[in-house]
Amino acid sequence: MVTPQLTIEQVERVIPQASDIHELDRGGQKVVFTGIIDGEKYAIKFMEPSPSQVAGQNSEFLDDVTSRAQREVETMQQCSTPYLVSMGPIGLGTADVDGSPMIYFSEEFIDGLNLYSYLQNSGILTPQEIVRLALHISEAIKAIWQFSKIHRDIKPGNIMRRNDNGDFVLLDMGLVFDLQDESLSVCPVGTPLYFSPEQMDFNNRRTTMNFRSDLFSLGTVMYEMATGKHPFTESATTTWDVLGNIANANPKPPIDIRPDLPLKLSEIIMRLLAKRPALRYRSIDLFQRALRGVETEGSET
Amino acid sequence: MSILAQCGYGRSEKIEHGLDESVIQGVIMSPRDERRDRLELSIQDWGSRYPNASVMFDPQFYAANLNNPRDGHLSEFDYYNNNCGLGRTHFSGTRIQRYVKECLDYQHQTLRNGISYIISPTILFDGFRDSWSQIALNMATESADYHATLSDPKPLLISIVVSETAFQTMDAVEEFLDALTEIDAQGFYIIIRRNSASVQNAMESAPFGRFMYFCHVLTTINEYDVIVGYSDWHSFLLEAAGVTRTATGWYQNLRQFSLARFQPSSRGGRPRKRYSSALLLSCPLINPELQDIYMANLLPRVLSGSGHDSIIQNGPTSGATNWSDEVSCLAHWFSLDALSQQIAAHSMQAEQVQAAERLMQNALTLYAQLGSQNVSFDPSTGPNHIREWQESLQEFRTLAGL
Repeated sequence: MVTPQLTIEQVERVIPQASDIHELDRGGQKVVFTGIIDGEKYAIKFMEPSPSQVAGQNSEFLDDVTSRAQREVETMQQCSTPYLVSMGPIGLGTADVDGSPMIYFSEEFIDGLNLYSYLQNSGILTPQEIVRLALHISEAIKAIWQFSKIHRDIKPGNIMRRNDNGDFVLLDMGLVFDLQDESLSVCPVGTPLYFSPEQMDFNNRRTTMNFRSDLFSLGTVMYEMATGKHPFTESATTTWDVLGNIANANPKPPIDIRPDLPLKLSEIIMRLLAKRPALRYRSIDLFQRALRGVETEGSET
Repeated sequence: MSILAQCGYGRSEKIEHGLDESVIQGVIMSPRDERRDRLELSIQDWGSRYPNASVMFDPQFYAANLNNPRDGHLSEFDYYNNNCGLGRTHFSGTRIQRYVKECLDYQHQTLRNGISYIISPTILFDGFRDSWSQIALNMATESADYHATLSDPKPLLISIVVSETAFQTMDAVEEFLDALTEIDAQGFYIIIRRNSASVQNAMESAPFGRFMYFCHVLTTINEYDVIVGYSDWHSFLLEAAGVTRTATGWYQNLRQFSLARFQPSSRGGRPRKRYSSALLLSCPLINPELQDIYMANLLPRVLSGSGHDSIIQNGPTSGATNWSDEVSCLAHWFSLDALSQQIAAHSMQAEQVQAAERLMQNALTLYAQLGSQNVSFDPSTGPNHIREWQESLQEFRTLAGL
């Protein structure tokens, strides 16, 4: 993966309608700027297409970076929910920047903090905030699943908490997997720490990935935001240890680590972390109903 | 939970009497055993006379790929007659769509005014990893998809007919559950194909414990309705596992499902008369077992409390002539319903499991007391099946973490 090298001047040349451009973030295969377009602030992502392994043999195949960008843009265009980052006014485009090919697009700028940073700075969330987090992110999972897609990379770094209203928003749909498009990779991708058991078990011919895989990852995030601890890193020293724990180890119930957590919420998190998809929730609606039960319990007490 | 009548040949007026006595809460019709016009009239009649009863129609499509089945009146039903004699090559996507459409359309259009659910067509399979199980899953998924296109349909139950041997391998059970719980339906109508259907022929303990777990995952965890057909005394255990309803009938072949039901009959003699005792969790023979209990002055200890008990209260042998098939059936439903109510009296599943354990322990104690009074039982009466069930319940508890 190549992190593109771009200056603000180069961005201004590629997107002349944007002003007040600043670099926001850099890492992995992308660099993100902010800019004002038609009076609104947006995030503008730039990626450098990697030389395709197969492009020379068959032009139908896109390089990985481009196909990820396409998935991301397509998913943003399809889904409509405030809990999923939305598309900005600049659609997917390509440009030659001083001899380097670039692909770019814009998306909503979210003024907030991602949960990874939140965990570092502010610590764990209150039970009410965890329920809110789960309701919002499950709504995003549901919106993606309506198109038979799964996110595959739900983790604290991909969830933003808005500063203005405290809503949680799911970002980065570059790894979204379309179950109806067999041309896309079924190899394990994503962040191993947040894999579901079935996400790394692609030999299993019947337990297919669906939204319940995303629910498992959300369960891992909820566990972490509730306790400050990752459920599967205990006594793990390597990524393989973590993957082994995800497949086989049962973490302590969150309530054992944080006794002030409502029992129902602890049970919900544990259910999301069940090894078998059949033991999680068969629909987002059932999951959200269970979460509202925690809310009710909280208001009654 | 509630008990449903599993219909078969010779129903006479048992259903109406069972509904009137409130010992059953509904009925599952068998097209194999009824003339089509009579079946349709009955369903419509029950739908209006018993609006609170659950009326269902098992399409028995699984007979379509049996080898020369004795399929009775099934050939009067187009969804079956157009498609019977199916081999492994007859289950392409397009064909499955046709089978599903014809079967669901018949229930949705013709039976609509009487039935409470639509039941999907399926085929029988022996293992959760065999190719037939994948065909069954495809039919289930197609049924859910087609059902979603119908206008204001009755809720859909996906039907599954699977051999008891399928529950030998836990990994396969779990994989199948993963696939099954992807289906959007109201619930499942499940039939376990027994290797042989005989009185008190309990399933092996471990596979039955896994079947209980299978039902628990579908009901308690995933909130589907689960109706288990061709059930019998073990209904109270299934209730403790979360099953919504069980169905049982008047003949042994309506209490355990085996392929013998679709094979030429051996025309055996009439079965000996039995009494259904909720306290023994079994059906002792009226003569000599119940008579021996009577002679030992212990009859009240085994009677279930049905109004029909008066027939045999003053001497089982002398009352036997009035102990008709219909009375025997109504008394059986009464006993199963009474057991069901004892489980349902507890709201928490762990308590229900404990209640089931107590029922079995009490029954074993009663067998021991009767044994001490020189009352002996035929192996077909018990109590070995109860010990199997105790092991099944233990297996279930372990799997469900209860």
